[in-house]
Amino acid sequence: MSFFGFGQSAEIDIVLDGQENRRTAEIKTEDGKKEKYYLYFDGETVSGKVNVTLKKSGSKLEHQGIKIEFIGQIELYYDRGNHHEFTSLVKELARPGDLTQNTSYNFEFSQVEKPYESYTGANVRLRYFLRVTIVKRISDTVKEQDIVVHTLSQYPEMNSSIKMEVGIEDCLHIEFEYNKSKYHLKDVIVGKIYFLLVRIKIKHMELQVIKRETTGTGPNTFNENETIAKYEIMDGAPVRGESIPIRLFLSGYELTPTMRDINKKFSVRYYLNLVLVDEEERRYFKQQEITIFRRADKVRKNYQAALSHHNPSLLSDGSSARAAQQQQQQQQERQQNEEAEEDEKEDENDEEEK
Amino acid sequence: MPSTPQLSPQEEQEKLLEEALGVVKTQAFQMKRCLDKGRLMDGLKHASTMLGELRTSLLSPKSYYECYMAISDELRHLEMYLVDEFQKGRKVADLYELVQYAGNIVPRLYLLITVGTVYIKSNELSRKDILKDLVEMCRGVQHPLRGLFLRNYLLQCTKNVLPDSHEDQSVEGMGESGTVMDSVDFIQLNFAEMNKLWVRMQHQGHSRDKERRENERRELRILVGTNLVRLSQLECIDVERFKQNVLPGVLEQVVNCKDAIAQEYLMECIIQVFPDEFHLQSLNSFLRACAELHPNVNVKNIIIALIDRLASFAQSEEGSGIPPEIQLFDIFSQQISQVIQNRPDMPPEDIVSLQVALINLALKCYPDKVDYVDKVLETTEDIFNRLNLDHVEHGSPVSKELMRLMKIPVDTYNNILTVLQLQHYGPLFEYFDYKGRQLMSCHIINNALESETPIPAQENVESILNIVNCLVQDQNDQPDEPEDPEDFAEEQGLMGRFIHLLFSDDPNQQFLILNTARKHFGAGGDKRIKYTLPPIVFAAFRLAFRYKQLEQEDEHWEKKCQKIFQFCHQTIGALIKAEQAEIPLRLFLQGALVAGQIGFENSETVAYEFLTQAFSIYEEEISDSKAQLSAITLVIGTLEQMSCFGEENQEPLLTQCALAASKLLKKPDQCRGVSVSAHLFWSGKSQAKGGELNDAKRVSDCLKKGVKIANQCMDSSAQVQLFVEVLNHYIYFYEKGCEQISVQVLNQLISKIRELLPNLESNEETEQINKHFKNTLEHLQHKLDNQETAGQYEGLVL
Repeated sequence: MSFFGFGQSAEIDIVLDGQENRRTAEIKTEDGKKEKYYLYFDGETVSGKVNVTLKKSGSKLEHQGIKIEFIGQIELYYDRGNHHEFTSLVKELARPGDLTQNTSYNFEFSQVEKPYESYTGANVRLRYFLRVTIVKRISDTVKEQDIVVHTLSQYPEMNSSIKMEVGIEDCLHIEFEYNKSKYHLKDVIVGKIYFLLVRIKIKHMELQVIKRETTGTGPNTFNENETIAKYEIMDGAPVRGESIPIRLFLSGYELTPTMRDINKKFSVRYYLNLVLVDEEERRYFKQQEITIFRRADKVRKNYQAALSHHNPSLLSDGSSARAAQQQQQQQQERQQNEEAEEDEKEDENDEEEK
Repeated sequence: MPSTPQLSPQEEQEKLLEEALGVVKTQAFQMKRCLDKGRLMDGLKHASTMLGELRTSLLSPKSYYECYMAISDELRHLEMYLVDEFQKGRKVADLYELVQYAGNIVPRLYLLITVGTVYIKSNELSRKDILKDLVEMCRGVQHPLRGLFLRNYLLQCTKNVLPDSHEDQSVEGMGESGTVMDSVDFIQLNFAEMNKLWVRMQHQGHSRDKERRENERRELRILVGTNLVRLSQLECIDVERFKQNVLPGVLEQVVNCKDAIAQEYLMECIIQVFPDEFHLQSLNSFLRACAELHPNVNVKNIIIALIDRLASFAQSEEGSGIPPEIQLFDIFSQQISQVIQNRPDMPPEDIVSLQVALINLALKCYPDKVDYVDKVLETTEDIFNRLNLDHVEHGSPVSKELMRLMKIPVDTYNNILTVLQLQHYGPLFEYFDYKGRQLMSCHIINNALESETPIPAQENVESILNIVNCLVQDQNDQPDEPEDPEDFAEEQGLMGRFIHLLFSDDPNQQFLILNTARKHFGAGGDKRIKYTLPPIVFAAFRLAFRYKQLEQEDEHWEKKCQKIFQFCHQTIGALIKAEQAEIPLRLFLQGALVAGQIGFENSETVAYEFLTQAFSIYEEEISDSKAQLSAITLVIGTLEQMSCFGEENQEPLLTQCALAASKLLKKPDQCRGVSVSAHLFWSGKSQAKGGELNDAKRVSDCLKKGVKIANQCMDSSAQVQLFVEVLNHYIYFYEKGCEQISVQVLNQLISKIRELLPNLESNEETEQINKHFKNTLEHLQHKLDNQETAGQYEGLVL
């Protein structure tokens, strides 16, 4: 756009190669709307064509050069001025000169490293985009085009179950087990809660998936917790010896892969929070971190997932394993109590938010 | 401002239910609308909201049930829609997964069950796996009421789709459809879980609400019982499978839940829903489980229910009945004693009721095996001993039960002799108190009377009378105050009737029987013997007649008759000692008649002795003038009948009678006595003449004396009456041809009566006398009018 209403101006249009066949993916914008962009993976070449269209025919466009950049950056919302670019590649499309007609330029960033996944969070955003700049004396003409990057993970070689016995002395002892510690985005969490001792009047029990976004470092660390899923797994008060099945399908929820220490700027971690609520509305918690990863899409999964059950080894072999855990358990109890306090506060906040 | 009225709990419930049903209605409507438009996901959302009403904790079980019924009706619509869609090929991928996203567990599981059923009906996925999944996932609802209804919904939905075949009939690649064993596992698990929930209700909430809670539990029991009904509906379950795979699991659950209400209901349920053939083959396990039930369970009712069922089964199918290899009685007998042993606190009446059931079983299934019945009695006796229970008070529950127990053999056999074969009947009888023994004794005797069982041997008599001893003799423990005389008379009357059942075909045996009876009854005391000895005497008379009939066969018959009369004499003597007069007198007279009729060697002496005995009673014991008159009339009547006397014996007897009659105290009695004794001299038998005496003179003397005494009578009304009576005697003898009586005598008497009659006061008595006289005259008129007899009455003035 021209400041004074005269002089040539141009429109820039970026057309990606193979655009019509490329998959798209949704990502949230900062204001929560969802937008669709073309989807790229790590190491994939990003190439295409830049079309510069002159708005007035017969008049030339003087420029100081045209370039295209491939940028991956992290924006912390509280630090708007500073965008941290972790990737920045530049290709010159034209040397300084005049444009007298509509012109197309091919570009190619071959096998670009895209180490992180696109992400829009509460306090931070990680985005990839292409930026075409027509450098001019007064004001540059700029066009940005976002893409979405998904990072794919191999199925982890080690994926042990999470099992633990926790409790409050003489009040409540439970064993729980989730079948894995690492789940892919469309996975199903299967598990069991086994009640060893129940002296409180439990009203219900739910499993929550909590997303914790951590930004900043040191004293300036911000934690943002979001309850992604609230899933009631038990209604009413169980008695000693009951075992309650868990089956939670993840694909219905908005999850991202777990991100740890992304470029030393932020992390996104997921926790399974088991919550028991008693008749006096007291809440008892236990949080366990789980890893969420993105797996290359497979063909149709087996229906068995819809009715999968977990047969925890821990629960079946009984007392010996339990005895071994006694010490550990007491330690955990202390932790648990501390955590519970903490969690309780957090949860109250949660409720207030509603 | 109007204040909010306080709602009663019931109104509160109604209001809550109304609200819930309102939501159900609206949501169901929306759901159907969405389904009609093909918007399945929206339809499911409405279904889920509707199901949210089942999350409530505010409704009472009854209201919750109504809400549940309304919702399950609506869900059927959803199910039908889905089945329809699936059949049209419009399958909804991942539906089974989709419904699992519902955040709240109760709506989620209802939807899961509904979709699961649709999958099974449409052959999607493996039936076996779905069933397993559904029943497992329902564990998430631990709230008793909500859990029970949820699982009931599961049972309802899967009702017609449970696998029921021996082999898996699935088509290749379609997933396993399962076998009947999968159904058994499915139901067993559901049953166990439901039962746990049901039992848990008992322990929740305030103890002050216990009663209400127990009522609520009872309202819900059918939900749990439905599991057993389902099991019983599986056709592939045969006896073997039932024994191996079904019953053990069910019983284990029932026993381990340790809850009285549940155990009582479920055990009954098992009995009711499974066929008798199954029960027969698994009795031991069932009964063993009974022994392990909670002390508060009325285990007796359970066992009795089973016994009753099997007993009627044994009777219903003629021919098949109980398979011989099953020792039904032994099994029950052993297991019941185990149950009793396991429950030291079991009330004795319950123990006895169990024995009642056992005895019923023995009688119905093994009617010929008396020893089974005896074994039950023996066991009962042992138990009483063990419990130190030697006095069963009448009216107590034990007494009632024991009475039931003891009456059964009596009422079933309807033969007291069979009852006597029971060695332990008599000993057990002794445990009753006086009143109990009395009632039981009457029952036994009544039964014997009704079934008319002859008692053919001395030992039998001995045994019976020992058992019913309290009706025979005074008891140590009988109450001090005397019984109601009417009741006593009735009771002793029974014994009197009973004596007539003592009958042996062998007269010698019969004599022994009577002796035994005499011995027992003779000890009965003054009050009883007047009821019991006379029948013995009569029975003895009858026996004497039987010997008479046997005179050809038994050379000693006369001696035996003699003995019988000695026996009777002595027996009657006992009555006299008991200050009886009327009865002994009559018995002696009867004895005299019998002796006369039989006519054995010594019969004249015997008859004479008996008559004189009657006389002495008359003279010494009877003081009331009326009684005297009727006694002497009887003596005269007896003597008149007898033909065995020679003149030597007859003359004193005749004279004595006439004399006694004339010596009666009151004039009217004298008059009547002498008039009656006139008959002795006319129709009395004479051995010398070989016929009637026909002593006209003495007849006439008697009658004259009668007229004379009547003349002395002061009471004119009585006097006229006596004249009329004497006139009748005269007419009788005149017609018989007594030559000492003339028409003039008749005329005199008639005119005398005519003369006196109008002077009588007119009253009812006079009326009667008048009528008597008129009838007499009419008789005479009739004779006069008759050609044949007119001559006889020539000169009669009427």
